[in-house]
Amino acid sequence: MSAVDYGREALDFIEGLNGYTEVPVAMDALERAFCRFGFETIIVTGLPNPDQKFSQMVLAKRWPAAWFKLYTENSFDRVDPVVRHCRRSIHPFEWAEAPYDPEREKGAAEVMRRATDFRMKRGFIIPIHGLTGYEAAVSLGGVDLDLNVRSKPALHLMAMYSFERIRHLLHPTPDPPSRLTRREREVVAWASQGKSAWEIGEILNITQRTAEQHLANAATKLGAVNRTHTVAIAIRNGIINP
Amino acid sequence: MIHVISVANRHLYEDVLEEHFRIRHDIFVDERRWETLRKPDKREIDIFDNEDTIYLLALEGRRVVGGHRLYPTTKPSMMSEIFPHLADVRGYPSDPLIWEWSRYFIVRDRRDGNLNLQLMAAVQEFCLAEGIVKISAIMETWWLPRFQQAGFNVVPLGLPALVEDAWTMAALIDVSADTLRAISARTGLPSVVQRKGPHLDAVARANLHRERTEIVREIA
Repeated sequence: MSAVDYGREALDFIEGLNGYTEVPVAMDALERAFCRFGFETIIVTGLPNPDQKFSQMVLAKRWPAAWFKLYTENSFDRVDPVVRHCRRSIHPFEWAEAPYDPEREKGAAEVMRRATDFRMKRGFIIPIHGLTGYEAAVSLGGVDLDLNVRSKPALHLMAMYSFERIRHLLHPTPDPPSRLTRREREVVAWASQGKSAWEIGEILNITQRTAEQHLANAATKLGAVNRTHTVAIAIRNGIINP
Repeated sequence: MIHVISVANRHLYEDVLEEHFRIRHDIFVDERRWETLRKPDKREIDIFDNEDTIYLLALEGRRVVGGHRLYPTTKPSMMSEIFPHLADVRGYPSDPLIWEWSRYFIVRDRRDGNLNLQLMAAVQEFCLAEGIVKISAIMETWWLPRFQQAGFNVVPLGLPALVEDAWTMAALIDVSADTLRAISARTGLPSVVQRKGPHLDAVARANLHRERTEIVREIA
């Protein structure tokens, strides 16, 4: 294909994405489109932070079931050099470009080796860095690939738009959907200054119990796992200004 | 608040404009290393900074903390003159209702906060008020998900290409009340744009250039 054809096909595919309203149908379209470049596996996923499991971050995938089982049971994401490199990169890269020391990082070497048992010999990954520090990726794998200077920009753009469509279909409401009340914001702001629930109660003239309730509600609304996390999310999203 | 500065009211903002050219140099030349923009007097000004440029600058008092600029596509633009290859699939715009958006910056100590969303809201709010229907942009590709997650509809004009080692793409972004509403819900602010002094009618001004361009084309 000429450069112009790669461009036209990619942009037509991207335009067509808006017509898919169900994730499985969209994934079928992704499969067909990426298959034209020789790709056999696709995964669209958030990258887990240390408290999260890889499996809960996956948005959609076309992976051999046995590989997914192996990958998640062994927590391969923690040693996968591709995942590590992805966190540090804003640009797409081939799996082979993810650096690791095969002598000192046996875990990394094993992941790369075992993937090849599942026809994931060569791959291309497109990192996604979202608004609130959200990290994600679209990773494509296969054996005989049409992966070169002309096809990579097309794949880059197609993958980014694919990610957004899948994400949008799974989470149609823009986040954060629940706004904190004024009182909840106040309480979180004082927590960010290191005040305990009792101290916050004293400052705002409410009971400690009430302050704790406000903090708990704020945590739930922001999807935080504890008070520190609540404060961090609130600051990152500009909900409070430290 | 994000202030609209044009040739009509820049007499109220000369100090602010001057500071913003210096900040642009700090950020785009020193931080982002866009060496081609380097200037000996450390003021980052290019050929698209002129009497037709509209600046949207976020001010805290008289301190510039962020901003971007708009330029009519009825004049030679960055996309038509410098990066036409980025738009080679769908073509670049030349339309009084489409303005080119560029030089988006936030000072270091205001990043990762609400200001980013406010700046995105500002361009939508301003364009909606002026009747501008789309904004064209050349952006580093990694910004795409950020705009999309803010609710922007970003339509690519071509494939990404490397520009000074960074993957870069050309796109058109829709201006819409729905998009503005979605971002405003997140900023918590119904309006972020401030207009002081005489207003410029952006589309009328862009139309002036269209007439001139069309006349030139006919002669040529």
